[in-house]
Amino acid sequence: MKRTLSYKLNIFLFLLPALILFVGILIAPIIMSAFYSFHEFNLVANTDMEYVGLENYKILFSSMLTNANTGKIYANSMYLGDALTHSLILAALSTFIQLPLALIIALKLSKGIWGERAYLSIYFMPVLISTVIIGRLWMNIYDPGPAGLLNAGLRALGIDKWLFPAISNAITSSKLPFTGQWTGFRETALIAAFIPILWQYVGYHMLLMYAGIKGVPADLLEAAQLDGCKEGQVNRYIIIPYIKPILKVCVIFAVTGSLKSFDLIYALMKDTSRAELPSTLMYKLLFLHNRYGLGSTVAVVLIVLCFLFAVLISFAFRDKGAKVA
Amino acid sequence: MKKLVALILAAVMLLGITSAFAEAEKPTLTLWSIATESDANRPAYEAAIPAVEEALGVKIVMEAFENDSYKTKIKSTSAEELPDIFFTWSGAFCGDFVAANKVYCLDEEFKNYAEQLPEVMLQNSTYDGKHYAVPLTMNIVTLFANMDLLKEAGYDAVPTTYEDLIACCDALVAKGIIPFGCSGNATWCVTEYLEPIIEKTIGYEAMNEIFAGRATWNDPAIAKAVDTFQEMITKGYFDPDGLSLDNDTVKANFIAGKYAFYQNGSWNCGEINDAEGDFQAALFPVMDAEKATYGQVIGGPNDALAVSAASKDPALAAKVAFALGKEICHYGYLAGSGLPAWTPDYDTSAVKPLVADVAKMVSESEGMVLFGDNAMSADPANIYLSYVAKVYGCEIDGAGFIEALTNELQ
Repeated sequence: MKRTLSYKLNIFLFLLPALILFVGILIAPIIMSAFYSFHEFNLVANTDMEYVGLENYKILFSSMLTNANTGKIYANSMYLGDALTHSLILAALSTFIQLPLALIIALKLSKGIWGERAYLSIYFMPVLISTVIIGRLWMNIYDPGPAGLLNAGLRALGIDKWLFPAISNAITSSKLPFTGQWTGFRETALIAAFIPILWQYVGYHMLLMYAGIKGVPADLLEAAQLDGCKEGQVNRYIIIPYIKPILKVCVIFAVTGSLKSFDLIYALMKDTSRAELPSTLMYKLLFLHNRYGLGSTVAVVLIVLCFLFAVLISFAFRDKGAKVA
Repeated sequence: MKKLVALILAAVMLLGITSAFAEAEKPTLTLWSIATESDANRPAYEAAIPAVEEALGVKIVMEAFENDSYKTKIKSTSAEELPDIFFTWSGAFCGDFVAANKVYCLDEEFKNYAEQLPEVMLQNSTYDGKHYAVPLTMNIVTLFANMDLLKEAGYDAVPTTYEDLIACCDALVAKGIIPFGCSGNATWCVTEYLEPIIEKTIGYEAMNEIFAGRATWNDPAIAKAVDTFQEMITKGYFDPDGLSLDNDTVKANFIAGKYAFYQNGSWNCGEINDAEGDFQAALFPVMDAEKATYGQVIGGPNDALAVSAASKDPALAAKVAFALGKEICHYGYLAGSGLPAWTPDYDTSAVKPLVADVAKMVSESEGMVLFGDNAMSADPANIYLSYVAKVYGCEIDGAGFIEALTNELQ
């Protein structure tokens, strides 16, 4: 074995297929996107690539722009800042609502309650369902008409009488009254889009955590119980620290998933402008506006942010006692 | 007995092989369209394809995609991967493909059809004086009215002046009937209301100039038109639920009698005509009689077929595209999924009454403006749509609309 490994050419040749795939599928497109982000061109009309330097970044990160002809300052409709803010809100909700919920369910289920397997399947089911179907399902829930489950429930309980006027007062983006159009206003559309996203992936994180909890050595738990630890203390001092690596993975998935979120918002509302996220803006710029340079710039920003958050989360979860090799 | 069975089987196999060879001899052409199972034009394609296959001795293999998916797919397809014939929207959408040299020029083949296809129908797919797409049907924005509901409000006919329309809306609201339904989930549906109002305020010529980028959006008359539209919304003439409804639901609500009016494309004529109830078609009334007339319409020949420049046999594909275009127009007109871009050379007595009414409006039209999102190229069209959505949500007023578009587009 040692002799074989000493042949560097052999090692290189064995690694080459995987390396080619890795570079071809992951690294090359990132480099190409970075290259495109400094250019502007229309791929459909086959226009020449025009080098624009940092202009695309300037457009995406400027809330106000100046008209070159008139010198007037105006609000930039392609501003990425709002979409990024929405993503960060989703990331925060995922981390501080979705993951704790998944952890609570995983902790409860791992205690061997009656119907454990059935509950596992039920909680995991939304992950298995196609996002388009989930979008359709929640469209029906949010339907403002009599068929809408949410509004029908609110009306049956009489909550709509005070809730709808209160929401109307809270809506600042429009002069129209809120009468149950959950996806119709910027303020409500964002929340309406986030709820199914959070709901869908609770089961996914729960399953990861559940598997981790099941891996906690029984002798550790027994020792804690013999020492008089209550359930909450066992969870806090034994189980949660033990599954810290899994929690780290869950946080990374939740945060990067929030930054990349696209499909459910698109399935839920075709006009995504009321709940714009970086990915929906990227799709619009690439395939509706035919602004390939600008769309690629959003892609680069997303890649950088996902990488940055993954590093930051890994840093936050580092084992402070461990020495760096 | 065994020998007989073997003989029959051998004969069947031979027949199969022979017919396969006969089939293989036919040139095969690929076609991409948006005529999915649920598309109003699907029956027209299903009737047209076998007819053309038989007439020209070709085999046509069609693949259909949902509207939005199709736009993404066709834009991201390289010239070499395009099918022989593909569906396109005329105007700027097709223009991008022409600019990229992905489309075969149809001038030569058009000569054979010049008498059946008025050249004016090709104007939206003509670039630098050359024809690049075969129009299928044409469509205009139509004001559909539920006459049963209008009668409840005391109206026997669709109002033809703006003042009458407003009085009618007030009467409908007083009776607890919602006058209009419009989907806010699909911004193009909002343009079906806003564009006729702007056209009937500033006139079709001025609007064409703006869409072509030769005139500015900075026109107070446009701001006034937008404010009028918003006034109709805030006065409760529009279903407030429409903000978060899709177009299919809004249309179903109209057909079910929830709204008195539904303004949308004439491709809905067949479906509305076949629905239970008394429906009539009209145009949005004039807002400024000095600049516009009742007969000015939004629309035109928009759906078309183009031939890929990379097709193995573009001349044959062009021939098939024209034959298909003519037949799809024929069957689409009879089914009520569009108005004829081609001069009918068949019995039109079976055309549905509502379709015939709209066809008459087109024949009497005094000016036409292509749908804004097709008239403008992709980037300005989508910036325009983003502000149209804000208008319907009452997030910006008329002054904000013209200021934003002036700054972003000019």
